[in-house]
Amino acid sequence: MAQVALDAVTKSWTEVPAVKSVSFVVPEGQLVAILGPSGCGKSTLLRLIAGLEEPTSGRIEIAGRDVTGLPPSERRIAMVFQSYALFPHLSVAENIVFGLKVRRVGRAEREQRLAKVADIVELAPYLDRKPAQLSGGQRQRVALARAIIAEQPVCLMDEPLSNLDAQLRHEMRVEIRALQQRLGMTMVYVTHDQTEAMTMADTVILMKGGSIEQLGPPAALYERPETTFVASFVGAPPMNLVPDGDVTRGIRPEHVRLGPGGAGDVARRGTVASVEYLGADTIVSVSQGEHGRIAARLAGATTLKTGDMLDLHWSPAQESLFDRAGRRIARRTPELAV
Amino acid sequence: MSALGRGRGAALAGEALETAAAWLLGVLWLLPLLFAIWTAFHPSAYVAHFSPFAPLTLQNFVAAWNAAPFARYFLNTTMLVTGVLAAQFVLCTLAAFAFARFEFRGRDTLFMLILVQLMVAPDILLLENYLTIKAIGLVDTVPAIALPYLASAFGIFLLRQTFKAIPKDFEEAARVEGCSTLGVLWRVYIPLGKPVYLAYGLVLVSFHWNNFVWPLIITNSVETRPLTVGLSIFASPDQGIDWAIICAATLMTSGPLLVAFLLFQRQFVQSFLRTGIR
Repeated sequence: MAQVALDAVTKSWTEVPAVKSVSFVVPEGQLVAILGPSGCGKSTLLRLIAGLEEPTSGRIEIAGRDVTGLPPSERRIAMVFQSYALFPHLSVAENIVFGLKVRRVGRAEREQRLAKVADIVELAPYLDRKPAQLSGGQRQRVALARAIIAEQPVCLMDEPLSNLDAQLRHEMRVEIRALQQRLGMTMVYVTHDQTEAMTMADTVILMKGGSIEQLGPPAALYERPETTFVASFVGAPPMNLVPDGDVTRGIRPEHVRLGPGGAGDVARRGTVASVEYLGADTIVSVSQGEHGRIAARLAGATTLKTGDMLDLHWSPAQESLFDRAGRRIARRTPELAV
Repeated sequence: MSALGRGRGAALAGEALETAAAWLLGVLWLLPLLFAIWTAFHPSAYVAHFSPFAPLTLQNFVAAWNAAPFARYFLNTTMLVTGVLAAQFVLCTLAAFAFARFEFRGRDTLFMLILVQLMVAPDILLLENYLTIKAIGLVDTVPAIALPYLASAFGIFLLRQTFKAIPKDFEEAARVEGCSTLGVLWRVYIPLGKPVYLAYGLVLVSFHWNNFVWPLIITNSVETRPLTVGLSIFASPDQGIDWAIICAATLMTSGPLLVAFLLFQRQFVQSFLRTGIR
């Protein structure tokens, strides 16, 4: 059953719409990540689902009800804000049960649910503190607890990890995903960080300029990008885009090999422009003059130096091909037919 | 080295001068109060005669309390101040919330008009206010003293700035959690504005506790007079001037205010500093 369904939702303040006729569904218990560069409309989209903005046109359904005209309080959602929006005048416990109090849930039930949730997010020792006395990670947990305790069918997250350091971000990523699966929550998760989207989501929606560029499981976005934008946004480093006449050849750095290659391979030659040693592997960037650069991912360390001449090749079977407009071309290579 | 020494010397001298000036101003400001305290607690004979071993007495306070209906004056002033405080808190909060968080036609013009009102000296309006009150038929009542002050441009301005400085995320979070518009005001904006309310409340209370000209004009009887007017009548020449009793009465009437300021002064100064920094 679809917990969130958008049908041709458009939002415009000026002539140029911020969100252009976006449609998708989020099945129950799934985590859907809305990914995209800043200004792509992903935050607006989330605010439209939350009811903090009104769509110019289109229809939004949550848990089987049309909520397009309803205020946020009646949409049966919980939300975690980028700033966490913890009330500074309330203690951790009061922050967590804020919504229950507003909705007049009885004291006994409030206490009981608070104890359960505080246990889940490991905040029990801090319930009497004020948010100002907590670390960044703990504040994040309070915001999470406030969203969980509501027991709403849908939880919205607006870049919840962007204020944490790298170490903590990794921990919280794992934790949020585990929690979401354990509690069977339906989650819409906005982020500009592709690692978050790729590692946590069941489905990734990549947005550009207010519309959906590609929607699919993380592996589909990585292996079969529908456009050159998706190819160049997903992956670190992103897919190499090598112009070749009317088409653009897209090849992942890990599929690029050293050496002149054999018959049927695509071959290129250039000078080493940079060598990035990452530990497990090394990214070698080879300059093609005016044709740009090709990155190759080599296992372990390398003796290559900047300025070395280098032959590269890869198998066309591992390529993605794009037309002039940047759209994926259905593969026509013979070896696939075998 | 010597230049450095001279520089430090000059800095020290400057600091000493500043300290001396601060003390001088402080003592000058305190002098009348000290005189009043001295006079109130000593027999009349010592009014203009300083002697460290003069006998202490509370007789002046007893005499002052019995000489005029101060109990009634206290009651009148208390009713006046609480009434104005309650009305201003409610009206200014609602107005400030509207100006800070709602879009409506003519909002900015209306707000400018309210700011313009800040520039009108209140004394200019005395006569006009009197005529209005007379037309309503409320002359010589406590509500008549309060009526021109039930809303305040300063209060609206101050609270609007406070509300505007509160991040919108708080409001949105509260709305997602189920708050209505007034619920957001009650649960988010007002609690977060608490230090400002405290400072504003203190200024308001002291202003209306001390307000004199308007109550003097609009009241004629013991039943309505606030402390300030009562005190001035008490101290007028037809009572016969006894400075000791007048000082005792003055201390008595300003006492509660003084205590309130001493209790809240830290929060008071801090909140004004903070509103300034924003």
